[in-house]
Amino acid sequence: MTNRNAPGADGPAKARPSDEQVEQSLYAKQEKIYPREVHGLYASLRVLGVFGLLGIYYLLPWLQWDGHQAVLFDLPARKFHIFFITLWPQDFIYLAALLIIAGLTLFFVTALVGRVWCGYACPQTVWTEAFLWIERKVEGNRMQQQKLDASPMNARKLRIKVTKHFLWLSFSAWTGLTFVGYFSPILDLGQRMLAFELGPWETFWIIFYGLATYGNAGWMREQVCKYMCPYARFQSAMFDMNTLIISYLPARGEPRGSRKRSADAAVLGLGDCIDCTMCVQVCPTGIDIRDGLQYECIACSACIDACDHVMDKMGYEKGLIKYTTENSMEGKNTQIIRPRMVIYTIILLTIMSTFVYSVATRIALGLDVIRDRNSLYRETDEGLIENVYILKILNMDDSAHTYKLGVQGIPGVELHMDVATIRVPAGDVMDFPARLRADESSLEARSSTVIFNLEATDDSALQVQQDARFLGPS
Amino acid sequence: MADKPIPGIQKCIVILWPSFLTAVIASGLFFSAFDPDDLFPFGADLEISRLGIYSVGFLLFWLIAAASGIGTLYFAITNCMRKNPDSRDK
Repeated sequence: MTNRNAPGADGPAKARPSDEQVEQSLYAKQEKIYPREVHGLYASLRVLGVFGLLGIYYLLPWLQWDGHQAVLFDLPARKFHIFFITLWPQDFIYLAALLIIAGLTLFFVTALVGRVWCGYACPQTVWTEAFLWIERKVEGNRMQQQKLDASPMNARKLRIKVTKHFLWLSFSAWTGLTFVGYFSPILDLGQRMLAFELGPWETFWIIFYGLATYGNAGWMREQVCKYMCPYARFQSAMFDMNTLIISYLPARGEPRGSRKRSADAAVLGLGDCIDCTMCVQVCPTGIDIRDGLQYECIACSACIDACDHVMDKMGYEKGLIKYTTENSMEGKNTQIIRPRMVIYTIILLTIMSTFVYSVATRIALGLDVIRDRNSLYRETDEGLIENVYILKILNMDDSAHTYKLGVQGIPGVELHMDVATIRVPAGDVMDFPARLRADESSLEARSSTVIFNLEATDDSALQVQQDARFLGPS
Repeated sequence: MADKPIPGIQKCIVILWPSFLTAVIASGLFFSAFDPDDLFPFGADLEISRLGIYSVGFLLFWLIAAASGIGTLYFAITNCMRKNPDSRDK
């Protein structure tokens, strides 16, 4: 489970954990990790990520677009609104394509810059960061938290713990409400919640998603990355010698050792690492980056910020822990353009352009022809053979249309409908019964193919065809 | 395989989490292909909303996938015990 390309294997004196040790640690009971608060360039970037992404998540459902909620996965109506696009169940392929594009983009980004997704954009990181912030506001810094947890239960500890969990749960409930707001119009949902009129399933999903947030960001944290995240397990397959990683430079840091600020490291025979363990204390997954690249590392770069701060204080050059590549650490040049990147780019561009083309040329009209199941055929008074169909017409456009219907396939076939005009409002699906009548002599077999041709009267681009069976006597 | 037994909570995770993801995909595919109203022609008589049908469908998929996960874990652990009988007591 260790990274195959782990650098520094021959660097620090401390041996890297063996595969067996890692495997055991996967199943070991967890000690709570108290990450120390960190400030610096990358911490600021992550806070920016937290505000940006959580902002989008919590505000998006409130945004209106053209008279409806801008992003609404309207399950009861079987329509997905995403700004100006409305997706129907038969457009599921587009969602699948979007997921594939997202997956490939993740591969591409991983090969190029490593696990930046984990460190800055993953919901698990983002919500954990928010929960950690609440925890620090209530319980204090790392030392105070550890002291509080070690102390026996008393009135003060109880008050602090209750406050923290109350805040966590409130934040989670808000998260759950927002989540359900993506599926059920949030304005209406909010009003009904205030009036205690939520449906049982809406209540269920608010609680479910809220508790999942509370559990994952409050309790599980880095364990989600270690035990539950598939990406964390396979991301190393995308890594190569040119991938951006976070690494400690053993050549510069070792031998590590504490010293006075005034001491001359060269005289003491020490490297630049003063062994202050700040990089370990800030790590949200509780690893020591100086042991080399480990699969637990979510590339949050908290250790870079912490170490740079220490280096500054010591008057040493920054970057004892830094973003680098294995090639760069070995003194070689880092190649950005390489076969792996070219292949990912080609695949990604092909799928993306196909996706854009098919969305752009999507015909906003659907026709389903369902034969009446109750009878095979009927003979009319005039001696014609009659088949009955239900036409399901789906207008996926954003304006109402009138359609004309034609039938081909059988010579002299007559189309009879109960309605004079076929008109379907925007974004609606309507059923129209239709009867086809044909002379027995024009039927060549017991079952013939008829083709229904539906076209909007005001837009010839809106045209679809659908085959159906026409049954007659043998 | 690890010498230490797998803690109960992690057994729950390895069963519930992958089956959750599978259930999301399965219910997405299933309900995009079938409209609950078509599945139950007299759906109007049922005392359950579409959201309710989707939810029950999802939970059923989850249950089925989790059952498969329990089977996999059970066979994996018992196989491992047969190969390495000492691990039973630990």
